[in-house]
Amino acid sequence: MRYFEARVAKNESLSGGYFRLSLAGCHPLGASRPGQFVMLRGDWERDPLLPRAFSLLSVGADGEAAILAKTVGRGTALLERAAAGARISVLGPLGTAFPAPSPEFIDLLVGGGVGIPPIYLQAAVAARAGLASRSEILYGGRRTSDLVLLDEMKAFGVSLHLATEDGSTGRHGRVTAELEARLATHAGKPVRIMACGPNAMLWAVGRIARERDIPCFISVEEQMACGIGVCLGCAVPARSRPFRYVCKDGPVFDAADILDVARGDPASQKPPSTPQTGCLT
Amino acid sequence: MSAPVTAAPSQAPAVRPRLALESGGLSLQNPILTASGTFGYAREFESLTELGALGGVVTKGISPKPRFGNATPRICETAAGMLNSIGLENVGVEGFRTEKLPYLKTLGTRVVVNFFGVTFDDYVSCGESLASMDGVDALEMNVSCPNIKAGGIEFGTDPRVLGELVRACRPVIRKPLWIKLTPNTSDIVALARACADNGADGLSIMNTITGMAIDARTRRPKIATVFGGLSGPAIKPIALRMVHQVFRAGVPLPISGIGGIQDATDVVEFLLAGASTVQVGTQNFADPDTACRIVRDLADLLASDGVTDVRELVGGLRT
Repeated sequence: MRYFEARVAKNESLSGGYFRLSLAGCHPLGASRPGQFVMLRGDWERDPLLPRAFSLLSVGADGEAAILAKTVGRGTALLERAAAGARISVLGPLGTAFPAPSPEFIDLLVGGGVGIPPIYLQAAVAARAGLASRSEILYGGRRTSDLVLLDEMKAFGVSLHLATEDGSTGRHGRVTAELEARLATHAGKPVRIMACGPNAMLWAVGRIARERDIPCFISVEEQMACGIGVCLGCAVPARSRPFRYVCKDGPVFDAADILDVARGDPASQKPPSTPQTGCLT
Repeated sequence: MSAPVTAAPSQAPAVRPRLALESGGLSLQNPILTASGTFGYAREFESLTELGALGGVVTKGISPKPRFGNATPRICETAAGMLNSIGLENVGVEGFRTEKLPYLKTLGTRVVVNFFGVTFDDYVSCGESLASMDGVDALEMNVSCPNIKAGGIEFGTDPRVLGELVRACRPVIRKPLWIKLTPNTSDIVALARACADNGADGLSIMNTITGMAIDARTRRPKIATVFGGLSGPAIKPIALRMVHQVFRAGVPLPISGIGGIQDATDVVEFLLAGASTVQVGTQNFADPDTACRIVRDLADLLASDGVTDVRELVGGLRT
Protein backbone atom coordinates (compact mmCIF):
# COMPACT_ATOMS: atom_id res chain seq x y z
CA MET A 1 0.00 0.00 0.00
CA ARG A 2 1.34 3.41 -0.95
CA TYR A 3 0.03 6.94 -0.99
CA PHE A 4 -1.66 7.46 -4.33
CA GLU A 5 -2.65 10.65 -6.02
CA ALA A 6 -6.32 11.46 -6.41
CA ARG A 7 -8.00 14.55 -7.82
CA VAL A 8 -10.85 16.52 -6.37
CA ALA A 9 -13.88 15.66 -8.51
CA LYS A 10 -16.36 17.79 -6.61
CA ASN A 11 -16.38 19.80 -3.39
CA GLU A 12 -19.90 20.47 -2.13
CA SER A 13 -20.86 22.83 0.66
CA LEU A 14 -23.56 21.36 2.86
CA SER A 15 -25.43 22.93 5.75
CA GLY A 16 -23.86 23.50 9.16
CA GLY A 17 -20.38 24.16 7.79
CA TYR A 18 -20.05 20.61 6.48
CA PHE A 19 -18.59 19.83 3.10
CA ARG A 20 -18.39 16.68 1.00
CA LEU A 21 -15.13 16.18 -0.86
CA SER A 22 -15.40 13.72 -3.72
CA LEU A 23 -12.14 12.36 -5.10
CA ALA A 24 -11.54 10.73 -8.47
CA GLY A 25 -8.84 8.12 -8.98
CA CYS A 26 -9.48 6.21 -5.76
CA HIS A 27 -9.52 2.71 -7.27
CA PRO A 28 -7.24 1.41 -4.46
CA LEU A 29 -10.13 2.10 -2.07
CA GLY A 30 -12.47 -0.21 -4.00
CA ALA A 31 -12.60 -2.91 -1.31
CA SER A 32 -13.11 -0.48 1.60
CA ARG A 33 -15.65 -1.37 4.27
CA PRO A 34 -17.73 0.97 6.46
CA GLY A 35 -15.68 2.35 9.33
CA GLN A 36 -12.36 2.18 7.50
CA PHE A 37 -10.51 5.43 6.97
CA VAL A 38 -8.03 7.21 4.74
CA MET A 39 -5.16 9.61 5.39
CA LEU A 40 -5.41 12.67 3.13
CA ARG A 41 -3.03 15.46 2.33
CA GLY A 42 -2.98 18.22 -0.27
CA ASP A 43 0.00 19.96 -1.84
CA TRP A 44 0.66 21.81 1.39
CA GLU A 45 4.48 22.00 1.38
CA ARG A 46 5.71 22.03 4.98
CA ASP A 47 2.70 23.36 6.78
CA PRO A 48 0.39 21.82 7.77
CA LEU A 49 2.82 18.96 8.03
CA LEU A 50 0.71 15.90 8.64
CA PRO A 51 -1.99 14.11 6.69
CA ARG A 52 -5.54 14.07 8.08
CA ALA A 53 -7.59 10.98 8.91
CA PHE A 54 -11.16 10.70 7.58
CA SER A 55 -13.68 7.88 7.68
CA LEU A 56 -14.94 7.04 4.23
CA LEU A 57 -18.41 8.32 3.37
CA SER A 58 -18.76 6.52 0.07
CA VAL A 59 -16.73 4.45 -2.35
CA GLY A 60 -17.91 3.88 -5.90
CA ALA A 61 -17.00 1.25 -8.47
CA ASP A 62 -15.90 4.13 -10.72
CA GLY A 63 -12.98 4.95 -8.43
CA GLU A 64 -14.71 7.92 -6.88
CA ALA A 65 -14.64 8.11 -3.09
CA ALA A 66 -15.94 10.80 -0.77
CA ILE A 67 -15.37 12.08 2.71
CA LEU A 68 -17.48 14.42 4.83
CA ALA A 69 -15.76 17.05 6.93
CA LYS A 70 -16.24 20.25 8.83
CA THR A 71 -13.53 22.87 9.14
CA VAL A 72 -11.92 22.69 12.56
CA GLY A 73 -8.33 23.67 11.79
CA ARG A 74 -5.86 24.50 9.06
CA GLY A 75 -5.95 21.13 7.32
CA THR A 76 -9.71 20.96 7.03
CA ALA A 77 -9.81 24.64 6.01
CA LEU A 78 -7.50 23.85 3.10
CA LEU A 79 -9.58 20.83 2.11
CA GLU A 80 -12.76 22.91 2.23
CA ARG A 81 -11.19 25.30 -0.28
CA ALA A 82 -9.80 22.54 -2.53
CA ALA A 83 -11.12 23.12 -6.04
CA ALA A 84 -12.04 20.51 -8.61
CA GLY A 85 -8.87 19.09 -10.10
CA ALA A 86 -6.71 19.75 -7.01
CA ARG A 87 -4.25 16.99 -6.17
CA ILE A 88 -4.81 15.06 -2.96
CA SER A 89 -2.50 12.29 -1.67
CA VAL A 90 -4.46 9.38 -0.25
CA LEU A 91 -3.46 6.33 1.80
CA GLY A 92 -6.00 3.64 2.50
CA PRO A 93 -8.21 1.86 3.20
CA LEU A 94 -6.89 1.70 6.76
CA GLY A 95 -8.14 0.19 9.99
CA THR A 96 -11.05 -1.97 11.07
CA ALA A 97 -14.67 -1.92 9.91
CA PHE A 98 -18.14 -2.37 11.36
CA PRO A 99 -19.51 -5.93 11.18
CA ALA A 100 -21.24 -6.69 7.89
CA PRO A 101 -25.03 -6.31 7.85
CA SER A 102 -26.75 -9.58 8.73
CA PRO A 103 -30.33 -10.79 8.47
CA GLU A 104 -29.96 -12.14 12.01
CA PHE A 105 -29.73 -8.70 13.60
CA ILE A 106 -31.46 -5.37 13.68
CA ASP A 107 -28.61 -2.86 13.42
CA LEU A 108 -29.08 0.49 15.12
CA LEU A 109 -26.60 2.83 13.42
CA VAL A 110 -25.97 5.83 15.65
CA GLY A 111 -24.29 8.93 14.25
CA GLY A 112 -23.53 12.17 16.00
CA GLY A 113 -22.46 15.30 14.13
CA VAL A 114 -19.35 14.76 12.05
CA GLY A 115 -19.45 11.04 12.94
CA ILE A 116 -22.06 10.28 10.29
CA PRO A 117 -19.80 9.01 7.43
CA PRO A 118 -19.32 5.37 8.49
CA ILE A 119 -22.99 5.23 9.52
CA TYR A 120 -24.01 6.46 6.07
CA LEU A 121 -21.71 3.94 4.39
CA GLN A 122 -22.92 1.08 6.59
CA ALA A 123 -26.51 1.92 5.66
CA ALA A 124 -25.56 2.03 1.97
CA VAL A 125 -23.92 -1.39 2.24
CA ALA A 126 -26.98 -2.79 4.03
CA ALA A 127 -29.21 -1.42 1.29
CA ARG A 128 -27.04 -3.01 -1.41
CA ALA A 129 -27.26 -6.32 0.46
CA GLY A 130 -31.06 -6.12 0.53
CA LEU A 131 -30.99 -5.58 4.29
CA ALA A 132 -32.22 -1.98 4.51
CA SER A 133 -35.22 -3.13 6.51
CA ARG A 134 -32.84 -4.55 9.16
CA SER A 135 -31.01 -1.24 9.70
CA GLU A 136 -32.04 2.03 11.30
CA ILE A 137 -30.07 5.26 11.34
CA LEU A 138 -30.24 7.33 14.52
CA TYR A 139 -28.71 10.71 13.79
CA GLY A 140 -28.21 13.56 16.19
CA GLY A 141 -26.82 17.09 16.11
CA ARG A 142 -27.08 20.37 17.93
CA ARG A 143 -29.53 21.83 15.41
CA THR A 144 -31.19 21.04 12.09
CA SER A 145 -28.31 22.42 10.03
CA ASP A 146 -25.98 19.82 11.62
CA LEU A 147 -27.96 17.01 9.98
CA VAL A 148 -26.78 16.50 6.42
CA LEU A 149 -27.39 14.11 3.52
CA LEU A 150 -30.81 13.16 4.93
CA ASP A 151 -32.46 12.63 1.55
CA GLU A 152 -29.66 10.32 0.44
CA MET A 153 -29.94 8.25 3.57
CA LYS A 154 -33.72 8.03 3.18
CA ALA A 155 -33.12 6.79 -0.36
CA PHE A 156 -31.21 3.80 1.04
CA GLY A 157 -34.55 2.60 2.39
CA VAL A 158 -33.42 2.47 6.01
CA SER A 159 -35.57 4.16 8.63
CA LEU A 160 -34.16 7.45 9.85
CA HIS A 161 -34.64 8.70 13.42
CA LEU A 162 -33.41 12.21 14.10
CA ALA A 163 -32.63 14.17 17.24
CA THR A 164 -31.50 17.75 17.79
CA GLU A 165 -30.43 19.34 21.03
CA ASP A 166 -32.40 22.50 20.23
CA GLY A 167 -35.48 20.51 19.24
CA SER A 168 -35.61 22.00 15.75
CA THR A 169 -35.84 18.56 14.09
CA GLY A 170 -36.85 15.16 15.43
CA ARG A 171 -36.55 14.32 19.08
CA HIS A 172 -35.71 17.26 21.33
CA GLY A 173 -32.54 16.06 23.02
CA ARG A 174 -29.59 13.84 22.43
CA VAL A 175 -29.40 10.96 20.01
CA THR A 176 -28.72 8.66 22.97
CA ALA A 177 -32.30 9.32 24.18
CA GLU A 178 -33.52 8.27 20.75
CA LEU A 179 -31.35 5.15 21.04
CA GLU A 180 -32.97 4.22 24.34
CA ALA A 181 -36.40 4.67 22.79
CA ARG A 182 -35.55 2.47 19.79
CA LEU A 183 -34.10 -0.19 22.07
CA ALA A 184 -37.35 -0.20 24.04
CA THR A 185 -39.27 -0.70 20.79
CA HIS A 186 -37.02 -3.62 19.83
CA ALA A 187 -36.91 -5.17 23.32
CA GLY A 188 -36.36 -8.91 23.13
CA LYS A 189 -35.12 -8.86 19.52
CA PRO A 190 -31.51 -9.47 18.48
CA VAL A 191 -30.08 -5.96 18.16
CA ARG A 192 -26.59 -4.61 17.50
CA ILE A 193 -25.43 -1.04 17.92
CA MET A 194 -22.82 0.65 15.72
CA ALA A 195 -21.89 4.22 16.52
CA CYS A 196 -19.64 7.06 15.47
CA GLY A 197 -19.58 10.56 16.88
CA PRO A 198 -18.07 12.69 19.62
CA ASN A 199 -16.32 10.75 22.36
CA ALA A 200 -18.91 11.78 24.95
CA MET A 201 -21.64 10.30 22.76
CA LEU A 202 -19.69 7.08 22.22
CA TRP A 203 -19.16 6.72 25.94
CA ALA A 204 -22.91 7.16 26.58
CA VAL A 205 -23.81 4.72 23.79
CA GLY A 206 -21.37 2.17 25.19
CA ARG A 207 -22.92 2.50 28.65
CA ILE A 208 -26.44 2.02 27.27
CA ALA A 209 -25.31 -1.12 25.43
CA ARG A 210 -23.48 -2.50 28.45
CA GLU A 211 -26.52 -2.03 30.71
CA ARG A 212 -28.61 -4.07 28.28
CA ASP A 213 -25.92 -6.56 27.27
CA ILE A 214 -26.21 -5.58 23.60
CA PRO A 215 -23.25 -5.97 21.19
CA CYS A 216 -21.89 -2.51 20.48
CA PHE A 217 -19.23 -1.33 18.06
CA ILE A 218 -17.87 2.20 18.17
CA SER A 219 -15.72 4.09 15.70
CA VAL A 220 -13.31 6.21 17.73
CA GLU A 221 -11.53 9.41 16.73
CA GLU A 222 -8.14 10.41 18.13
CA GLN A 223 -5.26 12.60 16.98
CA MET A 224 -2.96 10.60 14.71
CA ALA A 225 0.16 11.58 12.82
CA CYS A 226 0.71 8.55 10.61
CA GLY A 227 -2.36 6.29 10.39
CA ILE A 228 -0.14 3.21 10.09
CA GLY A 229 0.64 2.22 13.67
CA VAL A 230 4.00 3.94 14.01
CA CYS A 231 3.64 7.25 15.82
CA LEU A 232 1.61 5.68 18.68
CA GLY A 233 -0.19 8.99 19.09
CA CYS A 234 -3.71 7.59 18.75
CA ALA A 235 -3.60 5.45 21.89
CA VAL A 236 -6.82 4.91 23.81
CA PRO A 237 -6.88 3.22 27.22
CA ALA A 238 -8.47 -0.22 26.99
CA ARG A 239 -9.45 -3.19 29.11
CA SER A 240 -7.73 -5.90 27.07
CA ARG A 241 -4.39 -4.08 27.01
CA PRO A 242 -3.21 -0.85 28.62
CA PHE A 243 -3.64 0.94 25.32
CA ARG A 244 -5.10 0.18 21.93
CA TYR A 245 -4.43 2.20 18.80
CA VAL A 246 -7.19 3.83 16.79
CA CYS A 247 -5.34 3.45 13.49
CA LYS A 248 -4.38 -0.24 13.72
CA ASP A 249 -6.66 -1.85 16.31
CA GLY A 250 -9.56 0.47 15.35
CA PRO A 251 -11.08 2.85 14.52
CA VAL A 252 -13.96 0.39 15.07
CA PHE A 253 -13.71 -1.29 18.48
CA ASP A 254 -15.93 -3.44 20.63
CA ALA A 255 -17.25 -0.72 22.93
CA ALA A 256 -16.71 -2.94 25.97
CA ASP A 257 -12.94 -2.76 25.45
CA ILE A 258 -12.49 1.00 25.33
CA LEU A 259 -12.26 2.79 28.67
CA ASP A 260 -11.78 6.38 27.86
CA VAL A 261 -13.71 7.56 24.86
CA ALA A 262 -15.10 10.49 26.79
CA ARG A 263 -12.02 11.09 28.93
CA GLY A 264 -14.79 11.20 31.50
CA ASP A 265 -14.84 7.57 32.53
CA PRO A 266 -13.62 7.49 36.14
CA ALA A 267 -11.79 4.22 35.42
CA SER A 268 -9.58 6.00 32.93
CA GLN A 269 -8.47 8.66 35.37
CA LYS A 270 -6.25 6.37 37.40
CA PRO A 271 -2.59 6.35 36.45
CA PRO A 272 -1.39 3.63 34.07
CA SER A 273 -0.38 0.40 35.74
CA THR A 274 3.31 0.59 34.87
CA PRO A 275 5.64 2.95 36.70
CA GLN A 276 6.18 6.08 34.67
CA THR A 277 9.51 7.77 34.55
CA GLY A 278 8.48 11.02 33.00
CA CYS A 279 10.27 10.30 29.72
CA LEU A 280 8.62 12.60 27.29
CA THR A 281 9.12 11.27 23.84
CA MET B 1 11.25 1.41 -27.05
CA SER B 2 14.60 -0.38 -27.14
CA ALA B 3 17.81 1.31 -26.15
CA PRO B 4 20.34 2.07 -28.89
CA VAL B 5 22.98 -0.62 -29.21
CA THR B 6 25.77 1.92 -29.09
CA ALA B 7 25.41 5.34 -27.62
CA ALA B 8 27.26 8.38 -28.78
CA PRO B 9 29.66 9.68 -26.12
CA SER B 10 27.47 12.69 -25.42
CA GLN B 11 24.56 10.36 -24.60
CA ALA B 12 26.50 8.06 -22.28
CA PRO B 13 24.79 7.84 -18.92
CA ALA B 14 26.37 10.03 -16.30
CA VAL B 15 28.34 8.14 -13.68
CA ARG B 16 26.09 7.63 -10.70
CA PRO B 17 27.48 9.45 -7.68
CA ARG B 18 28.89 7.25 -4.97
CA LEU B 19 26.58 7.25 -1.93
CA ALA B 20 28.28 4.48 0.08
CA LEU B 21 30.38 5.53 3.03
CA GLU B 22 31.85 4.53 6.37
CA SER B 23 30.47 6.42 9.33
CA GLY B 24 30.38 5.85 13.04
CA GLY B 25 31.97 2.42 12.74
CA LEU B 26 29.50 1.20 10.11
CA SER B 27 29.74 0.82 6.39
CA LEU B 28 26.52 2.07 4.84
CA GLN B 29 25.20 1.81 1.28
CA ASN B 30 24.04 5.42 1.56
CA PRO B 31 23.81 8.08 4.27
CA ILE B 32 20.02 7.97 4.70
CA LEU B 33 18.67 6.38 7.87
CA THR B 34 15.33 6.63 9.62
CA ALA B 35 15.10 8.23 13.06
CA SER B 36 14.17 6.39 16.22
CA GLY B 37 10.52 6.60 17.20
CA THR B 38 9.35 7.47 13.71
CA PHE B 39 9.89 4.12 12.02
CA GLY B 40 8.69 1.57 14.59
CA TYR B 41 10.63 -1.65 14.15
CA ALA B 42 10.63 -1.25 10.34
CA ARG B 43 8.11 -4.01 9.68
CA GLU B 44 5.32 -1.43 9.90
CA PHE B 45 6.75 0.01 6.66
CA GLU B 46 7.12 -3.30 4.85
CA SER B 47 4.38 -2.64 2.30
CA LEU B 48 4.89 1.15 2.27
CA THR B 49 8.48 1.55 1.08
CA GLU B 50 11.63 -0.31 -0.05
CA LEU B 51 13.35 -1.03 3.24
CA GLY B 52 16.38 -2.61 1.59
CA ALA B 53 17.21 0.64 -0.20
CA LEU B 54 17.84 2.55 3.03
CA GLY B 55 21.25 3.21 4.47
CA GLY B 56 19.90 1.97 7.76
CA VAL B 57 17.03 1.99 10.18
CA VAL B 58 17.20 3.20 13.76
CA THR B 59 14.64 1.32 15.82
CA LYS B 60 12.24 2.57 18.43
CA GLY B 61 14.05 3.09 21.74
CA ILE B 62 14.38 -0.13 23.72
CA SER B 63 14.36 -0.26 27.52
CA PRO B 64 15.24 -3.24 29.73
CA LYS B 65 11.53 -4.01 30.31
CA PRO B 66 8.49 -3.25 28.13
CA ARG B 67 6.80 0.11 28.62
CA PHE B 68 3.22 1.06 27.85
CA GLY B 69 3.71 4.76 27.30
CA ASN B 70 2.09 7.96 28.54
CA ALA B 71 -1.48 9.09 29.08
CA THR B 72 -3.42 10.55 26.14
CA PRO B 73 -3.61 12.82 24.23
CA ARG B 74 -0.03 12.19 23.22
CA ILE B 75 0.49 14.27 20.08
CA CYS B 76 -0.58 17.49 18.46
CA GLU B 77 0.39 19.29 15.30
CA THR B 78 2.14 22.66 15.55
CA ALA B 79 3.34 25.13 12.93
CA ALA B 80 5.42 23.07 10.47
CA GLY B 81 5.90 20.40 13.12
CA MET B 82 4.41 18.35 15.87
CA LEU B 83 4.69 17.78 19.60
CA ASN B 84 4.75 14.29 21.01
CA SER B 85 4.82 12.72 24.40
CA ILE B 86 4.49 9.03 23.63
CA GLY B 87 6.45 7.97 26.69
CA LEU B 88 9.01 5.71 25.02
CA GLU B 89 6.53 2.89 24.66
CA ASN B 90 8.44 -0.22 23.53
CA VAL B 91 8.60 -4.02 23.67
CA GLY B 92 11.65 -4.25 25.97
CA VAL B 93 14.91 -6.12 25.36
CA GLU B 94 13.45 -9.63 25.29
CA GLY B 95 10.48 -8.60 23.18
CA PHE B 96 12.89 -6.99 20.76
CA ARG B 97 15.04 -10.12 20.55
CA THR B 98 12.17 -12.52 19.95
CA GLU B 99 9.56 -10.45 18.11
CA LYS B 100 11.37 -7.71 16.21
CA LEU B 101 14.97 -8.62 15.46
CA PRO B 102 14.33 -11.71 13.27
CA TYR B 103 12.56 -9.51 10.72
CA LEU B 104 15.11 -6.69 10.92
CA LYS B 105 17.89 -9.18 10.11
CA THR B 106 16.28 -9.95 6.75
CA LEU B 107 16.23 -6.39 5.46
CA GLY B 108 19.68 -6.07 3.97
CA THR B 109 20.17 -2.67 5.55
CA ARG B 110 21.98 -1.56 8.68
CA VAL B 111 20.12 -2.03 11.95
CA VAL B 112 20.89 0.56 14.61
CA VAL B 113 19.08 -0.09 17.89
CA ASN B 114 18.18 2.91 20.00
CA PHE B 115 18.14 2.20 23.74
CA PHE B 116 17.63 3.95 27.06
CA GLY B 117 17.19 3.46 30.77
CA VAL B 118 16.35 5.38 33.88
CA THR B 119 19.48 4.40 35.84
CA PHE B 120 23.12 3.78 34.91
CA ASP B 121 22.57 0.06 35.52
CA ASP B 122 19.62 0.09 33.11
CA TYR B 123 21.75 1.61 30.38
CA VAL B 124 24.60 -0.81 30.93
CA SER B 125 22.48 -3.96 31.05
CA CYS B 126 20.24 -2.90 28.17
CA GLY B 127 23.19 -1.88 26.01
CA GLU B 128 25.11 -5.05 26.77
CA SER B 129 22.15 -7.31 25.93
CA LEU B 130 21.33 -5.53 22.68
CA ALA B 131 24.93 -5.32 21.53
CA SER B 132 25.33 -9.08 22.01
CA MET B 133 22.52 -9.86 19.56
CA ASP B 134 23.43 -11.10 16.12
CA GLY B 135 21.86 -8.77 13.57
CA VAL B 136 22.30 -5.60 15.61
CA ASP B 137 24.88 -3.52 13.74
CA ALA B 138 25.18 -0.57 16.12
CA LEU B 139 23.56 1.03 19.14
CA GLU B 140 22.27 4.55 19.53
CA MET B 141 21.98 5.75 23.13
CA ASN B 142 19.04 8.01 23.96
CA VAL B 143 20.21 10.27 26.77
CA SER B 144 17.11 12.47 26.89
CA CYS B 145 15.63 10.52 29.82
CA PRO B 146 15.32 11.84 33.36
CA ASN B 147 17.96 10.53 35.74
CA ILE B 148 15.92 9.44 38.75
CA LYS B 149 18.91 9.62 41.11
CA ALA B 150 19.63 13.19 40.03
CA GLY B 151 16.12 14.44 40.66
CA GLY B 152 14.89 13.85 37.14
CA ILE B 153 17.42 15.96 35.27
CA GLU B 154 18.06 14.50 31.82
CA PHE B 155 21.21 12.34 31.67
CA GLY B 156 22.21 14.08 28.51
CA THR B 157 22.22 17.68 29.73
CA ASP B 158 25.25 17.52 32.05
CA PRO B 159 28.58 16.81 30.31
CA ARG B 160 30.04 15.16 33.42
CA VAL B 161 27.07 12.78 33.90
CA LEU B 162 26.90 12.08 30.18
CA GLY B 163 30.62 11.28 30.08
CA GLU B 164 30.27 8.90 33.01
CA LEU B 165 27.29 7.19 31.37
CA VAL B 166 29.16 6.67 28.10
CA ARG B 167 32.22 5.42 30.00
CA ALA B 168 30.07 2.96 31.98
CA CYS B 169 28.47 1.52 28.85
CA ARG B 170 31.48 1.52 26.55
CA PRO B 171 33.26 -1.64 27.78
CA VAL B 172 30.17 -3.87 27.51
CA ILE B 173 29.03 -2.60 24.10
CA ARG B 174 31.36 -4.23 21.60
CA LYS B 175 29.65 -2.65 18.63
CA PRO B 176 29.59 0.90 17.32
CA LEU B 177 28.01 3.19 19.89
CA TRP B 178 26.32 6.42 18.83
CA ILE B 179 25.03 8.95 21.32
CA LYS B 180 21.85 10.87 20.44
CA LEU B 181 22.27 14.30 21.96
CA THR B 182 19.49 16.41 23.39
CA PRO B 183 19.17 19.99 22.14
CA ASN B 184 17.83 21.05 25.53
CA THR B 185 21.22 22.41 26.52
CA SER B 186 23.18 25.63 26.39
CA ASP B 187 26.42 23.95 25.27
CA ILE B 188 26.06 21.19 22.71
CA VAL B 189 29.82 21.14 22.07
CA ALA B 190 30.60 20.26 25.71
CA LEU B 191 28.17 17.34 25.52
CA ALA B 192 29.66 16.17 22.24
CA ARG B 193 33.18 16.32 23.69
CA ALA B 194 32.10 14.31 26.74
CA CYS B 195 30.97 11.55 24.37
CA ALA B 196 34.16 11.67 22.32
CA ASP B 197 36.38 11.63 25.41
CA ASN B 198 34.66 8.51 26.73
CA GLY B 199 34.80 6.28 23.72
CA ALA B 200 31.66 6.91 21.67
CA ASP B 201 31.85 6.12 17.95
CA GLY B 202 29.36 8.67 16.66
CA LEU B 203 26.85 11.38 17.50
CA SER B 204 23.24 11.76 16.47
CA ILE B 205 22.27 15.42 16.54
CA MET B 206 19.57 16.07 17.60
CA ASN B 207 16.62 14.73 19.60
CA THR B 208 13.36 16.71 19.95
CA ILE B 209 13.20 20.13 21.60
CA THR B 210 10.98 20.44 24.65
CA GLY B 211 7.90 22.50 23.89
CA MET B 212 4.24 22.91 24.68
CA ALA B 213 0.95 23.78 23.01
CA ILE B 214 -2.21 25.19 24.56
CA ASP B 215 -5.83 25.01 23.47
CA ALA B 216 -7.01 28.57 24.14
CA ARG B 217 -10.67 27.55 24.03
CA THR B 218 -10.47 24.82 26.66
CA ARG B 219 -7.52 26.47 28.42
CA ARG B 220 -5.84 23.08 28.63
CA PRO B 221 -2.48 21.85 27.35
CA LYS B 222 -2.88 20.01 24.06
CA ILE B 223 -0.98 16.95 25.28
CA ALA B 224 -1.52 15.15 28.56
CA THR B 225 2.01 15.56 29.89
CA VAL B 226 1.85 19.34 29.25
CA PHE B 227 5.37 19.36 27.76
CA GLY B 228 6.47 17.27 24.81
CA GLY B 229 9.11 16.93 22.14
CA LEU B 230 8.90 19.26 19.14
CA SER B 231 9.93 17.82 15.78
CA GLY B 232 9.49 18.49 12.08
CA PRO B 233 10.68 21.22 9.69
CA ALA B 234 10.13 23.84 12.41
CA ILE B 235 13.29 22.65 14.19
CA LYS B 236 15.57 22.19 11.17
CA PRO B 237 17.46 25.49 11.58
CA ILE B 238 18.27 24.59 15.18
CA ALA B 239 19.46 21.12 14.20
CA LEU B 240 21.66 22.54 11.44
CA ARG B 241 23.15 25.00 13.90
CA MET B 242 23.95 22.31 16.45
CA VAL B 243 25.45 19.95 13.87
CA HIS B 244 27.63 22.75 12.59
CA GLN B 245 28.71 23.91 16.06
CA VAL B 246 29.93 20.41 16.91
CA PHE B 247 31.59 19.96 13.52
CA ARG B 248 33.28 23.36 13.60
CA ALA B 249 34.58 22.75 17.12
CA GLY B 250 36.51 19.76 15.77
CA VAL B 251 34.89 17.13 17.97
CA PRO B 252 36.42 13.98 16.46
CA LEU B 253 33.21 12.00 15.90
CA PRO B 254 31.05 11.55 12.81
CA ILE B 255 27.63 13.16 13.08
CA SER B 256 24.25 11.80 12.02
CA GLY B 257 22.08 14.87 11.43
CA ILE B 258 18.43 14.81 12.49
CA GLY B 259 15.75 17.49 12.47
CA GLY B 260 13.00 18.24 9.97
CA ILE B 261 14.50 16.51 6.94
CA GLN B 262 11.94 16.23 4.15
CA ASP B 263 13.90 16.02 0.91
CA ALA B 264 17.31 15.58 -0.69
CA THR B 265 18.09 19.29 -0.49
CA ASP B 266 17.62 19.16 3.27
CA VAL B 267 20.10 16.26 3.32
CA VAL B 268 22.67 18.24 1.40
CA GLU B 269 22.29 21.09 3.88
CA PHE B 270 23.01 18.76 6.81
CA LEU B 271 26.03 17.28 5.03
CA LEU B 272 27.40 20.75 4.32
CA ALA B 273 26.92 21.65 7.99
CA GLY B 274 29.10 18.70 8.93
CA ALA B 275 26.92 15.61 9.19
CA SER B 276 28.14 12.40 7.50
CA THR B 277 24.77 10.68 7.62
CA VAL B 278 21.22 11.86 8.28
CA GLN B 279 18.08 10.45 9.82
CA VAL B 280 14.60 11.13 8.45
CA GLY B 281 12.10 11.43 11.29
CA THR B 282 8.68 13.03 11.50
CA GLN B 283 8.31 13.13 7.72
CA ASN B 284 7.98 9.31 7.80
CA PHE B 285 4.54 9.93 9.32
CA ALA B 286 3.48 12.25 6.52
CA ASP B 287 4.83 10.01 3.77
CA PRO B 288 6.20 6.59 4.69
CA ASP B 289 8.21 6.43 1.44
CA THR B 290 10.14 9.66 2.16
CA ALA B 291 13.50 8.14 3.11
CA CYS B 292 13.62 5.92 0.02
CA ARG B 293 12.57 8.78 -2.21
CA ILE B 294 15.39 10.84 -0.73
CA VAL B 295 17.90 8.07 -1.56
CA ARG B 296 16.79 8.22 -5.19
CA ASP B 297 16.59 12.00 -5.33
CA LEU B 298 19.95 12.50 -3.62
CA ALA B 299 21.76 10.59 -6.34
CA ASP B 300 20.04 12.70 -8.99
CA LEU B 301 20.74 15.91 -7.13
CA LEU B 302 24.45 15.13 -6.69
CA ALA B 303 24.75 14.07 -10.32
CA SER B 304 23.18 17.32 -11.49
CA ASP B 305 25.65 19.26 -9.35
CA GLY B 306 28.62 17.28 -10.66
CA VAL B 307 29.31 15.68 -7.29
CA THR B 308 30.73 12.18 -7.74
CA ASP B 309 30.97 11.13 -4.10
CA VAL B 310 28.60 12.15 -1.33
CA ARG B 311 31.53 12.39 1.09
CA GLU B 312 32.76 15.46 -0.79
CA LEU B 313 29.93 17.44 0.74
CA VAL B 314 30.57 16.69 4.41
CA GLY B 315 31.50 19.92 6.14
CA GLY B 316 31.68 21.72 2.81
CA LEU B 317 29.90 24.83 4.00
CA ARG B 318 31.36 27.97 2.44
CA THR B 319 31.72 30.69 5.04
